[in-house]
Amino acid sequence: MNRIIILLSLLINFTDSDNRSDQVITRQGQVSFFSYTSVENIEAKNNQVLSIIDFSRSEIAISMLMNAFVFKKSLMHEHFNESYIESDLYPKATFQGSIIDFDPLAEGIQTKMVKGTLTIRDIAKEVEIKTSIENIDGTYLITGDFEVVVKDFEIKIPPILAPNIAKNISIKFRFEYQPYEK
Amino acid sequence: MKNNILFLLFILMLIGFSISVNAQDLLDKLEKEYPDNTEYEIATFKGTRISLGHSIENRRKGVLEVKAMNLFWNIPNRPSQSFVADKWTARIALEYGLSNRLTFGAGGTTLEGIFDGFLKYNLIRQVKKGKGSPFSVTLFQNASYRSNDGGIGLSDDFIDRTAFTSQVLIARKFTSQFSLQLSPTYIHRSSSFDEDPNNHFALGIGARYKVGGHISIVSEYYYLANPLKSIDTYDAFVLGVNWEMSDLMLQFQMTNARNMVEDAFITQTPNNFNLSDGNFVFGFNATYVLHFNQKKL
Repeated sequence: MNRIIILLSLLINFTDSDNRSDQVITRQGQVSFFSYTSVENIEAKNNQVLSIIDFSRSEIAISMLMNAFVFKKSLMHEHFNESYIESDLYPKATFQGSIIDFDPLAEGIQTKMVKGTLTIRDIAKEVEIKTSIENIDGTYLITGDFEVVVKDFEIKIPPILAPNIAKNISIKFRFEYQPYEK
Repeated sequence: MKNNILFLLFILMLIGFSISVNAQDLLDKLEKEYPDNTEYEIATFKGTRISLGHSIENRRKGVLEVKAMNLFWNIPNRPSQSFVADKWTARIALEYGLSNRLTFGAGGTTLEGIFDGFLKYNLIRQVKKGKGSPFSVTLFQNASYRSNDGGIGLSDDFIDRTAFTSQVLIARKFTSQFSLQLSPTYIHRSSSFDEDPNNHFALGIGARYKVGGHISIVSEYYYLANPLKSIDTYDAFVLGVNWEMSDLMLQFQMTNARNMVEDAFITQTPNNFNLSDGNFVFGFNATYVLHFNQKKL
């Protein structure tokens, strides 16, 4: 009898975890980056970033296409993809990590650390990012900013152009999540 | 009892399994969320010219290219005291992106005083992901006018001094490094000596190989099917290096061509490609790109 109860509860648990919408997703996340130098300011924005959060495990994943970044100057888009990021070879940048001490039920704004692996050009780096998470009736808004070191991702910059590109690129993000439906 | 332990183990395994199933990468889940957009290939060639001849590339809308194309060569058997080279010709041109696919350009060349204007339209774009064409096609049409005397069968008549080049540029980016272009070409020259044809057919072949993020090696060859008869001409050949630095692009060439306008270098290159004085021509193009139509982010 006990076994049957355990089995049943397990089954319920399974089906439950499958149907419950403990995951939220965004398909129009925004990521922008800035490189400020005395020679030139470079700015780009990607409005098609995918991200998903699994509340049951406080896990978050982000994925985006590098060629979806929009620049002010069209030629910069070409150079970014062709000469620096090499998006032919490495089309995506991803992040996978967890939100530390995250309480999905708390209303209002919480400031939490997100810890995980950032992968650009197939090079993985551990990062910790301070984020602000706002819960408005079940839709979540996550914003924050951090910096990446260009050198970490083996992006080749010819010496003659070194003054044009900052050593540290600042990155801003803004994700508005909706409940995930299959 | 034993059964119970086995059962517990089984449950533990199940739980473990369920966790591993749930923990299946969230990233994999995102992978399926990407929309099935068609993606087009970019930068089949770095510049709007492979080196001397046009490539399939256009600049985007509102982009102005300021071009200075230069060729230098020596006159053979001359006790020359010229600085750098005996002969120099330059073409100064402006090329503007009317739309993302249509470019208009005009330029003036010092040698033979050629003025030229062209329109270039990107008809088909090569698709990288999704359904579509495996290559890009760009249509090119130019008109040129020779203001100096001394050309092949030139008279004072305005029409006589014109020539028209039509090209269908077909290119494919095979890998991120290697691109190849075929350029079937039709050239109409308005004036000619009697023995010379007015209409020429040529086939250009060009390629680039990217050796670094900013540097590529390029080569072009133009086969002319029916050359001029009144003078000896040779097919134009170019071997060059393209070097791009943010808004500036430099193209260096070793060639036998002495002109940068299509009808002139395809039909009237008077020497073959070798390293002797008079035959060897060194060239460089400097292209500066100005964006008049910057996107708002």
